[in-house]
Amino acid sequence: MSLIFEKLCKNLLLEHFGLIIQTVASDMFQHGPRTLNQMKVTTKHPISKIKESLCVLIKFGYVVYEQTDRGIVYTLDVEKVITILRYPRYMYFVKTFCGDEAEMMLEDVLKNGYERASQIIVKTYQRLEQFPPERRSTVPVLKEKFDLLVKNQFLMRSLCSNTLSDVPTDKPDFNMPSLNVKALTRLIQGNEVDAGDNNIYWKINNDRFTQDLRDQILVKSIAKRIDDNAGELMRQLLYLMYLRTASWADTSIPIPVTEIKEAMKKNFPSILPYLDQYLRIIEEDSSKFIERVGDSGGGQYSVNMKEAFHQLTWVVLENIVMERFGLKAARIFRLVHRHKYIEQEKIQQIAMIPAKEAKHLTYTLLEENYLQIQELKKPGLSTAPTKIFFLFHIDLNQVARMTIEHCYHALYNIIQRRDYEINSNKRMIDKQLRMQTLTSNMKEHGATEEQLAEIAEMMTPSEKLQLEKVQERIKKLGANEFSIDETLFILQMYIRYHR
Amino acid sequence: MDLNLEHADKQSSRESEQHDPITQKIINLAQLKPKGISDKDISIEMPDLQPIQKAQAINKLLAQGFFDLFKQGETLLYKLKDPSKARTAKGADNEEKIVYTIIEDAGNKGIWIRDIRFKSNLMPTQLNKILKSLETKKFIKAVKSVAASKKKVYMLYNLEPDRSVTGGAWYQDQDFEAEFVDVLNQQCYRFLEQKRDSTKDYLNGPIAEKNATFASSKEVWKFISDLGISKVKLSIEDLEMILNTLIYDGKVEKMISSDGSNFYRAIRPLLDSSGLVKSPCGICPVRKNCCDFGDVTPIKCQYITEWLDL
Ligand code: SF4
Repeated sequence: MSLIFEKLCKNLLLEHFGLIIQTVASDMFQHGPRTLNQMKVTTKHPISKIKESLCVLIKFGYVVYEQTDRGIVYTLDVEKVITILRYPRYMYFVKTFCGDEAEMMLEDVLKNGYERASQIIVKTYQRLEQFPPERRSTVPVLKEKFDLLVKNQFLMRSLCSNTLSDVPTDKPDFNMPSLNVKALTRLIQGNEVDAGDNNIYWKINNDRFTQDLRDQILVKSIAKRIDDNAGELMRQLLYLMYLRTASWADTSIPIPVTEIKEAMKKNFPSILPYLDQYLRIIEEDSSKFIERVGDSGGGQYSVNMKEAFHQLTWVVLENIVMERFGLKAARIFRLVHRHKYIEQEKIQQIAMIPAKEAKHLTYTLLEENYLQIQELKKPGLSTAPTKIFFLFHIDLNQVARMTIEHCYHALYNIIQRRDYEINSNKRMIDKQLRMQTLTSNMKEHGATEEQLAEIAEMMTPSEKLQLEKVQERIKKLGANEFSIDETLFILQMYIRYHR
Repeated sequence: MDLNLEHADKQSSRESEQHDPITQKIINLAQLKPKGISDKDISIEMPDLQPIQKAQAINKLLAQGFFDLFKQGETLLYKLKDPSKARTAKGADNEEKIVYTIIEDAGNKGIWIRDIRFKSNLMPTQLNKILKSLETKKFIKAVKSVAASKKKVYMLYNLEPDRSVTGGAWYQDQDFEAEFVDVLNQQCYRFLEQKRDSTKDYLNGPIAEKNATFASSKEVWKFISDLGISKVKLSIEDLEMILNTLIYDGKVEKMISSDGSNFYRAIRPLLDSSGLVKSPCGICPVRKNCCDFGDVTPIKCQYITEWLDL
């Protein structure tokens, strides 16, 4: 694990949970699995605080524990911690698929780690009350939205027994308890009632999101390369894969064309006249997402996830090389990729780049570790010294890992900057918050226009301008994290399939 | 004694030079008999030639390097040498001959001085001298190779250098015409892109639509020729080299049709530009020096500031 990865994780923990939890987590980062007493010695926090922190981390699934002869040992799951980064994308995903209310519900779970359905619905209802009437929802609608989240497996039951030894038997549970709508309404009014879900808690289903984001990339890529029809077909193929294949298998179990036809008839009938043609086009495309694996029963196709992310990773890296070192450098990078091993002279000849420039670019790429060099000794005539060839090639795995580190570094920097922008304008941001609360309070108490205008004047025009600018900046930095994570995600998928 | 027979068949290409009638006659005779002539052959051809005259003439020819002398059974044979070789031999020593042969063997692809040195086992200074001398006598010439800017290759004076040495259409005086190549690269892509974007053959299905976006190299060649941007006449192969660079730019794909001709089409990328490079830190030249402390930190970073103010 690299230093920058560790720093990034610590940063994320600090941002989401505060200092004490971060120091407890850092302790496990540094020393690996720890007992409570060990943590007490190094962190110097009282046991009660450490316990509290661990409790939160366990709830979120970042820490697992295990009974050993040393007592209970706690371990930090760093791969999980880094997913904090992806929460905004989860929310965005749910928003597009299930709507705004569902997004709010998800946000609630993401904030709290785990929660009861009734609580989630009540809180969302109350939050929506702040909005204008057209955006509010009724309890039955909200309950439906929650059902939708569970049906799509974005949420799963939290059993909260993340003992290491338990994990394999810990089968995901998506059973919805029957919620009492009347009781929910009474809960909202502030009464203590049982809505039918005591002790049933829900947490986020990380794996589902990861799979959905993964599938979405494939659909988008095919739509971009070919057209929207092909994208739609890809979506259905992925669904059919999901029905018959283990979640993270490299390739799908063969899907008969008849079944594809059936699925398209139901979901996207306009493609039917050209279904066979589209299948062939996707199959023949250099992206190699699907392959024809048999002819029985009108043909059979298989989705090849492993190959898809292999290809996508090349595209990502080629693009990075282009943006960093220019078009010609990207040409050289692709050329070396195609030829596997190639000499400098051949590179400039095929790439049609002047010798000097080609050499410069090739050695820049070498220096930056996008290319590797291999010496090949070829015994010459007895009189001549051994001839040495220098062949360029690309170690994809290494370049992908290096670029993942690059993403971590970029994310860390951008987050640092965002924190800085927030902190150095804290006074103003706080002032604005206070004004907002004041205004909404006064409104509730029937304040006059005049009074409200008075509050608004607490901020000078130049302050307002400055605030707007700062908010713009913070937004831009946040969006940038989102972008970097897109690249990171594809590379992580590649590593996952090519371990 | 040089028993090299390999140039025997080249004798017809020999240029005639000014000789006295006797030696000329002997030469003519030798030209007819590439395998060599004996004393007896000469006597039969020129019965009234005095033995002493014959000996003088032959000695002269041998000394001038026109003839090789070798033994077949019990008879001595005179064989005409390759003309250029013959000329080399005039006043050339053995080392020069060796170097000449090495260069000759390299043909029109030429040979680097380093390789001549390895093959001839001569000292660099000595070799340089010999090369100079051969060059001034116009037996060989040095040609700048396009493969490496400072590298010269040697070949026989009268040879036309191979394409791999001159670079063909893309070189003028051994200088690579990068701009010309770039313009052609762009124009070829423009042509293919237009072809793709103008095909809307929905009626016949996606495969027909895809096929309609392919253009043969001949089509592209015609388009480029009609544009009239090229001073030199380009061949279809020249243009395929350019189209090849577009493949390595990730913009074009190639298909080989059943009759072996090449077809090309513009393709769309699988992904938009990578998210990482949308970040200043994704393309930052000083990232390696960037950390929490010191002069380069994310908080002080000018790249981010500029990007934020964009
Ligand atoms: S913070 Fe600035 S200096 Fe540091 S890597 Fe990013 S762009 Fe470069």
